[in-house]
Amino acid sequence: MRFMMLMIPLGYESAPAKLELDPERVAAMMRYNQALKDAGVLITLEGLHPLASGARVKFDTGEPMVVDGPFTEAKEVIGGFWMIEVASRAEAIAWAKQCPASANEMIEIRQVQEMADFSEEVQQAASTFEHPQGGWGKALR
Amino acid sequence: MKFMVIVKANKDTEAGVMPSTELLAAMGKFNEEMVKAGVMQAGEGLHPTSKGARVKYAGGQSTVSHGPFSPTGDLVCGFWLIETRSLDEAIDWMKRAPFGGGSEIEIRQVFAAEDFGEALTPELREQGERLRAQAGKK
Repeated sequence: MRFMMLMIPLGYESAPAKLELDPERVAAMMRYNQALKDAGVLITLEGLHPLASGARVKFDTGEPMVVDGPFTEAKEVIGGFWMIEVASRAEAIAWAKQCPASANEMIEIRQVQEMADFSEEVQQAASTFEHPQGGWGKALR
Repeated sequence: MKFMVIVKANKDTEAGVMPSTELLAAMGKFNEEMVKAGVMQAGEGLHPTSKGARVKYAGGQSTVSHGPFSPTGDLVCGFWLIETRSLDEAIDWMKRAPFGGGSEIEIRQVFAAEDFGEALTPELREQGERLRAQAGKK
């Protein structure tokens, strides 16, 4: 089963566009990433720039409307993510608990949809496309 | 520049309503266009938060809570990773995404090694590059 671990640092919604990072924290996080890799569960990971330099595209009416960040109404903003492959949800949680996270941070664990989760009709419709969902590191790289 | 496009959850996605064949076909076509243009690197859909969990950290302790999570925050139901020359180009692509009313996406730049400055020592930088290269082969 594949899971996405979303890092949500509370306060990141109001972070300035340019970030100051603590080298010790970066090193601790790298050691954690190495442990995920050594265990053979890591698929990929990325960090995201603050919302101040981002944008939102809203389809409220069906027509796209672009708004530039930051957003005063934002409460929980993603700072980065890991994609992992483990045997169960409990295993994903166990990994998240080992993360060297700070007191203001939270990791949300979400299962990734597989084609097998969809109805037969939907699977058939998707099978006409080479890259229906994307996927990691297969045809795309 | 690499961007993560975050697809926001709504009432339907949180209720576990699966996309229709029409929407899936339109999305498949959109993905094909992005792959052919060399823009799309990955994309996935996520199960509703009712099947998820959260781990919070405080004073060296972590506490686990189970979904569903309240919609006061910015819940996610899927994402793309794309590579374009600018934020504007990323926005242009996403304006073409086949979403109906009520959908919202957020476009965020992905950190590259050079963004970290001196905090990322040469050793850490090398470790990061090695990790990514090896993890991507999975």
